[in-house]
Amino acid sequence: MKFFKCLLLIVLLFNFNKISAQDDLMKELDANKSDKKEIEIAAFKGVQICTMQSTKLAAKGEFYFLVSHRFGDLTNGLDNFFGLDFAYTKIGGLYGITNWLTVGFSRQTYNKTYETTLKYKFANQEVDGFPVTITGYNTFEVNTKLKTDLYPDLKFNNRLAFSTQLPISRKFSNSFSLELNPIYIHKNLYDLIPNTEKKDNFLLGAGGRYKLTNRLSVNLEYAARLNGAENSVYHNPVSVGMDIETGGHVFQFVLTNSQTMNDASYFTNATGRLGEKGIFFGFNLYRVF
Amino acid sequence: MKTYKTIAVLSFVASIFFSCQSNTYDDISPKNVTDPTYAKNIKPIFDANCISCHSQGGTGQYPNLDTYADVKEACDNGNVFCRIEQPTCGEIMPQSGSMPQKTIDLIKLWKSKGYTN
Repeated sequence: MKFFKCLLLIVLLFNFNKISAQDDLMKELDANKSDKKEIEIAAFKGVQICTMQSTKLAAKGEFYFLVSHRFGDLTNGLDNFFGLDFAYTKIGGLYGITNWLTVGFSRQTYNKTYETTLKYKFANQEVDGFPVTITGYNTFEVNTKLKTDLYPDLKFNNRLAFSTQLPISRKFSNSFSLELNPIYIHKNLYDLIPNTEKKDNFLLGAGGRYKLTNRLSVNLEYAARLNGAENSVYHNPVSVGMDIETGGHVFQFVLTNSQTMNDASYFTNATGRLGEKGIFFGFNLYRVF
Repeated sequence: MKTYKTIAVLSFVASIFFSCQSNTYDDISPKNVTDPTYAKNIKPIFDANCISCHSQGGTGQYPNLDTYADVKEACDNGNVFCRIEQPTCGEIMPQSGSMPQKTIDLIKLWKSKGYTN
């Protein structure tokens, strides 16, 4: 019952997106001129700020091919060639079903994780109108590395982790945008003793970008764990990055304290500390088709 | 048509919200292991978590952790224990995130029983 109520509520919310198509063309054109406000576009150039999602979606029919790398610990120096001896790779794609719905699928090295994502837009920031862009984002992650050799009582259910996010952004000027992102992460498998992890994690993420030139911007993101485990060996994830846009590509360099690229681990299992050990270099590459 | 699509997509989203039964690593780990052996219990742990870097076939990071002798040496005279649990001699290993406590405890038990091969 609760399920249907929830569904109904979300369906109602989505109906704001519907535009009636029956009106005659001229009338609609007039109406567009007077009523419809211009949408503020491109608060962020990439669909990610660094590793956290931005409020950008793929346009209808667009396909994004995605390759990301995170290398090993930079602070080990020449011993592991500043981390480059070792790499996690994520390969995947995103597809814009409509302008307000993007689906994605990817696979990455860490835990041999397969990830399905869903990103949807609730509202657009408008010029002299609605102040923010509101999107929703869900990930559904499957850890295929766990083996029954090590964990005899493993069930399929234990491989799953979920995240639900609500990225809200505002483009303050052509060069400066900010984002707030409340995050909920649920893990179906976690380490209870000695209380290093939690099954339900709440975080508040924040990110921003500042454009240096038309094709170059610096990005920063941070997420605070609101209910971190007391005994945790982990830290709050923080990343700095740089976007370089070339025709059809967005290239993002990233320095981060969290090596993994699936959201459930990225946000809750950051092992490094800025200024100390555990800084990881990496990049995201998007090719738009 | 659009409504059906919307409902299909949203029921998928909603199903994500509602399929969330959790277990701890304790629940799924081997129970009643009193005398772990390298071959049966310890090698699978090091193979799954360490050797992608710590072996000659991997990226050759010091120390190698792919044979009984190497693992024993690294546990006895190396940094294994001060890196895998509440690290005191460097950042935590594996660097992508700690192993479950139950797994760490099994390695400690193996040490205390005298490194059975």
